[in-house]
Amino acid sequence: MKFLPFIWRQLSRNKLRTALTAGAIGLAVSLVCILLTMPAGMDALLTQVASNTRIVVHNEAGLVYPLPYSYLQKIRSQPGVVSAASWTWFGGVFREEKGVEFPNFAIEPDQVGSVWQDWKIEPQQLEEFRRYRDGALVGRGTLTKNGWQIGDLVTLKGTVYPLDLAFRIVGEIPNERSPIFLFQREYLDQALRAGGRGGLDILGTVWLRVDDPARVAPLMSQIDEMFRNSEAVTASETEKSYFANFFSMLQGFVTVILIVTGLVALCIVFIAANTTSMAVRERIGEIAVLKALGFSRRLIFTTLLSEAVLLSTLGGVLGVLGALGLTQLLRAGSGWNPALGPLGSFIVTQAILVQGLFLALFVGMLAGVVPALGAARRSVAETLREVF
Amino acid sequence: MIEVRDVSRVYRRGADAVHALEHVSLRIERGRFAALMGPSGSGKSTLLNILAGLDRPTSGIVEVAGQRLGDLSEDQLAAFRARHVGFVFQFFNLIPVLNARANVELPLLLTKLGKADRRTRADTALRIVGLVDRANHKPNEMSGGEQQRVAIARAFVTDPEIVVADEPTGDLDAKNALEILALLRDLAREFGKTVVMVTHDPRGEAYVDEIHHLDKGVLLDSVAGSGGAA
Repeated sequence: MKFLPFIWRQLSRNKLRTALTAGAIGLAVSLVCILLTMPAGMDALLTQVASNTRIVVHNEAGLVYPLPYSYLQKIRSQPGVVSAASWTWFGGVFREEKGVEFPNFAIEPDQVGSVWQDWKIEPQQLEEFRRYRDGALVGRGTLTKNGWQIGDLVTLKGTVYPLDLAFRIVGEIPNERSPIFLFQREYLDQALRAGGRGGLDILGTVWLRVDDPARVAPLMSQIDEMFRNSEAVTASETEKSYFANFFSMLQGFVTVILIVTGLVALCIVFIAANTTSMAVRERIGEIAVLKALGFSRRLIFTTLLSEAVLLSTLGGVLGVLGALGLTQLLRAGSGWNPALGPLGSFIVTQAILVQGLFLALFVGMLAGVVPALGAARRSVAETLREVF
Repeated sequence: MIEVRDVSRVYRRGADAVHALEHVSLRIERGRFAALMGPSGSGKSTLLNILAGLDRPTSGIVEVAGQRLGDLSEDQLAAFRARHVGFVFQFFNLIPVLNARANVELPLLLTKLGKADRRTRADTALRIVGLVDRANHKPNEMSGGEQQRVAIARAFVTDPEIVVADEPTGDLDAKNALEILALLRDLAREFGKTVVMVTHDPRGEAYVDEIHHLDKGVLLDSVAGSGGAA
């Protein structure tokens, strides 16, 4: 400890270089800390958007394969199922040149309020949705994006079914990020019949709400077992798992970011090593003088390594504080700006802080060990002869 | 006491062997102020480094303060230097980021002394060289003479038996050079230190007790200086 002021003074020798190196290390540590929040943050995000009593049932072969419509009734009749609704992909486009801009599904209107209680759709709007066969419930995200309002009339051109359907918007799904467009299944069914194409006897997915979270797992097994030997085998999963599949692409993206971050951290090691090497090279004469005064090789090595570690730890502290500050700011911001909502889930925990500091420590050790070893091993008489 | 017996030092420079010292023997008694003199390349700095424990001879025996330096490992040599030898260099070699007091205190970090004792000792050493009022000044805020006096304070602050000085007046003006020579002489006379100085400076002859002349790695002669005449 008595050498600490000496080491600190050495760091303050070139303040700008020390500040820049600490800043670079801090930035890298900050980046790593923020990335480390991603897995937990995404899990929190999924928990936020997914209910623990909702199950989704789809064709085992994949989401693009339909199920017979008769499955819905069979699923509804299972003990523990409070309500169930089917989603059938219409694939309607609003602006033909842009393709499908928002997911649009045919659904049973009387089940929406019960299966998605947590969406908090206005009861009056739900009632309108039930009453008007051409009514549509639209997510606020899509409403905002297209400048639509409740009462507007919109026409979607079918891509799966060759018909155009005109809708009147009767309600909104009050979630800033929701892009969904829901309309009555019966409306599509009748339009198909009117066009001489027969009725709608398939569905895409079945969403159901269970009365008790404890029954979710047994019920999923029960449903899949029920259709095991049927014409279409089902795969049931929780809503969280269903959304997680959509996030899996993002997970791959996160992996890429993590790899890039690792490379950035490696670059920082080289930068820090270069700084230490420069510092050692500049002071090679001084180091020889210290050795002449009786500083042992081990002590020279320890002080130089400590200097590198102190510098990177300083950067690490800046980095974790930066990451903590940024995520807390986003969290606070998500309170008054709902658009930032999901970012509020990315929290720098104590474990991440410790990991960030350890990373900084590791960078310092890695960066310092070679130059410190070189300086410690150098012959004092030779150096004095060369330098002075 | 310093005793050097039949010491040779050969450097390898590529395929060539450079004989920096050849069969040098000399003895410097405790409390003496000795000068090693000779032209450049005569081997005087090599000899100084060897008897200060900074370098090892290729052959021969070096005994300083009762220790045979050839028997010591690198770490033991470092500990030996910390305990028994003080160094003064031509270009002062103070640590620029430390003030005078911290520079003088530096060798004391290797002792078991506490912070307060280290400070007291450093201030005492600075008082002896007449610079206690400059204790908080950094090297770049001091003249060359002052810096060399701080370096001398650093050299004896641990109370070593031996102080070695390599061209201590080489970078100083005449007035400061004489002051430094007087200070080194006082270390021998008043504090009983054995002071060995490498110098080109003929003015040094007037201050030292003995002069050892070297040329081409060979000790030519050892003569008495007029120590204290100035």
